[in-house]
Amino acid sequence: MTTIHKIKIEEYCSYCNIEVAFIKELHENGLIELEVQETQQLIDFDQIPSIEKYSRMYYDLAINIEGIEVIHNLLQKMSDLQQEIQQLKNRY
Amino acid sequence: MQFIDYYQVLGVDKNASQEEIKKAYRKLARKHHPDINPNDKEAEKKFQQINEANEVLSDADKRKKYDQYGADWKHADQFEQAKKQQQNYGQGRQHNPFGQSESYSYSSESNQDYSDFFSNIFGRNQGQSAHVKFKGNDARAELNLNLTDVYKTHPQTFTIGGKNIRITIPAGVKNGQEIKIKGYGGVGVNGGPNGDLMITFNIANNTSFQLKGDDLYIDIPVNLYQAVLGGEITIDTLDGKVKLKIPPETANNTRVRLVGKGFPVYKNEGRFGNLYITYQVELPTKLSQKEKELFQQLADIHHQK
Repeated sequence: MTTIHKIKIEEYCSYCNIEVAFIKELHENGLIELEVQETQQLIDFDQIPSIEKYSRMYYDLAINIEGIEVIHNLLQKMSDLQQEIQQLKNRY
Repeated sequence: MQFIDYYQVLGVDKNASQEEIKKAYRKLARKHHPDINPNDKEAEKKFQQINEANEVLSDADKRKKYDQYGADWKHADQFEQAKKQQQNYGQGRQHNPFGQSESYSYSSESNQDYSDFFSNIFGRNQGQSAHVKFKGNDARAELNLNLTDVYKTHPQTFTIGGKNIRITIPAGVKNGQEIKIKGYGGVGVNGGPNGDLMITFNIANNTSFQLKGDDLYIDIPVNLYQAVLGGEITIDTLDGKVKLKIPPETANNTRVRLVGKGFPVYKNEGRFGNLYITYQVELPTKLSQKEKELFQQLADIHHQK
């Protein structure tokens, strides 16, 4: 049995009731990765938690893509700092 | 049941319009949403309150019930039903004097129906995202281990949510490190994949070594005579005992490095950090008369140099 790990953008969007343009914009802003197979753009299942998170920010919290990008970068920075703190704590 | 003032939770007036409620909810949600505050339990709790308040106040019907019944708003339909039954009961008595208790009894079963009805309408998932969840929620767990437990790769079984999970803990995993076990989180919605289980390791150092990265550090006491004349000592490492030669005239705080005797490098089998040993030269105390004389002789020789 083959397990499918990818889904077409259109299929995912219709399933989740979100716009294809939103997914493409996330991709264009480097927030998610898409895969191209022949002429189809596909979403890897690994990307879905991120898409869901950004969808919540966009649709539920009314944060635009630029805002999501800023949040993404700040959260990344916060996570790096937390890791650094943890490493420092582990030293002493 | 404790009364929650949803208007106060959202910081809006009792006469607030839907637009004002939406705006207030979004403003607070942007601050406390778990996506923006990862691993923050306080924010999660706060967001739940905001979400619940929004769920009620953004729905005209629920808001009406809430305004009317206050703390008991969730049972509003039961009150309504009871009121109707009260009226029907009177009518029933007129039309059916023999069977009133059968026709108009307020059974626990109907209560049960209401509970289901309410959880269907006001259930937790209802007020959340407008779109269907695809993947199950990620679950979180913490695992407490000792440093010596993670010196070697080993299997560990633990129970989460009634499920026994057997995982292999790779050697060298660090305190605070998080690993993801795919598919052991919440069940996926509509056949979607399950969420993941995120395990955070809390590792207590139960050794005398200090761990910095993959390197271990320890201070080893050396007596004055060994330091001056040289000698041999045996120390314990995590890998067993090691004999060390102390060269003559070893100074206090001399640091030696034992390559590959440190901590295992995470997910890099066979690779280890180093062990750094710092010699702490201990001066003799409670000297006898004879020892004092001999030290005096040494001092005189030193001054004559």
